Amino acid sequence: EMEAKKRLGGSIAFVSKKKVMWD
Amino acid sequence: MTGPASQPAGQRDGRLLLKLQQEMSAMTEARTQDMCLENIAQNAPYLKQGRTLRDLHELGLGAGDSGVVIAAGPSLRRRDPVPVLKQSGFNGAIVCTESAISHCLRQGLIPTVAVSVDPHPLRIVRWFGDPDLDQARMKADDYFRRQEQDPSFADEVTKNNELLAMMAEHGKDIRIALGTTASPDVVKRVHEIGMQVFWFNPMLDDPDTPGSVTMELHRQNGLPCMNAGGNVGGACWMVAHAVLDKSRVAVTGMDFGYYADTPLLNTQYYYEARDLVGGDESRISELYIDIYNPHTDEWYYTDPAYYWYRSAFIEMAADADCRTYNCSGGGTLFSDHVQWASLEEFLDGATT
Repeated sequence: EMEAKKRLGGSIAFVSKKKVMWD
Repeated sequence: MTGPASQPAGQRDGRLLLKLQQEMSAMTEARTQDMCLENIAQNAPYLKQGRTLRDLHELGLGAGDSGVVIAAGPSLRRRDPVPVLKQSGFNGAIVCTESAISHCLRQGLIPTVAVSVDPHPLRIVRWFGDPDLDQARMKADDYFRRQEQDPSFADEVTKNNELLAMMAEHGKDIRIALGTTASPDVVKRVHEIGMQVFWFNPMLDDPDTPGSVTMELHRQNGLPCMNAGGNVGGACWMVAHAVLDKSRVAVTGMDFGYYADTPLLNTQYYYEARDLVGGDESRISELYIDIYNPHTDEWYYTDPAYYWYRSAFIEMAADADCRTYNCSGGGTLFSDHVQWASLEEFLDGATT
């Protein structure tokens, strides 16, 4: 099921509440 | 989300789509993380070349307080923002997805910065013109023919040749915020073209979590890490807002879905959706959801990935200390924190 599902996954991760980590 | 009962569309309630939403982060990790890490390792020799996202930030690009994102959703063609931008003389920041570069160049518009993050091994390089495009590559993936709704290989070859010529002429003038996760073919091609590269690590997980992969990458290559928001459209918005420091950001060509008259076959994840339900045509519709847009009084529909991108974008816009406008003119993206407006209205309010 995960093999089939993962093909419907997104392009790249989304990380909630984060913007840019510069330092 | 449903519209008025009298609407003729709106039959698909996305039963399976909604069920999958809570698993989308895990599904995305399963689909992309190994690919990302492999790409990052292979791209290592290039990472010392070019500049970083911090350098891009320090350039202070784009006059005034406003930025416009150009993504390559269906509204890019149906409600083209480029003529409006050109006619207005807008001199703020224009941030475009790699998939929208050709649309801009074709009309003589050079974006302030392009963005690419997707690790896919074959598809993304096509947006830069693929010097190695042949029948075998085209046969292996009909994605572009389905998106174009044109089944001919000949059209693909013509478009690819046009892209190769445009990149040869204008490529050196284009800055690109390039994710270290991009496929080695894309990285090689971007350097062949001579684009001005600004590197960053797309966040693969929360860097504040113990054992974070993102933090480990940051320790290894020292590059800034950016939340890419699930897809390149979200990443463009993040660049405009958090890297170029624009306090007003408009998005265009950002549908996160499809016009109601789009055949299912022409949607991006059709084959994947069909396979998930074991090829059962009667169940495929459970993986799509109809969404009524009250601003355009039109129905659209979307699939699990784009519904997830949409939710991620709405969350990012709600958390941001910038104002976000959707000037796409169509699509599924609207919320309390994403103001619906025409591009002309947005540009009228820009300071220069």
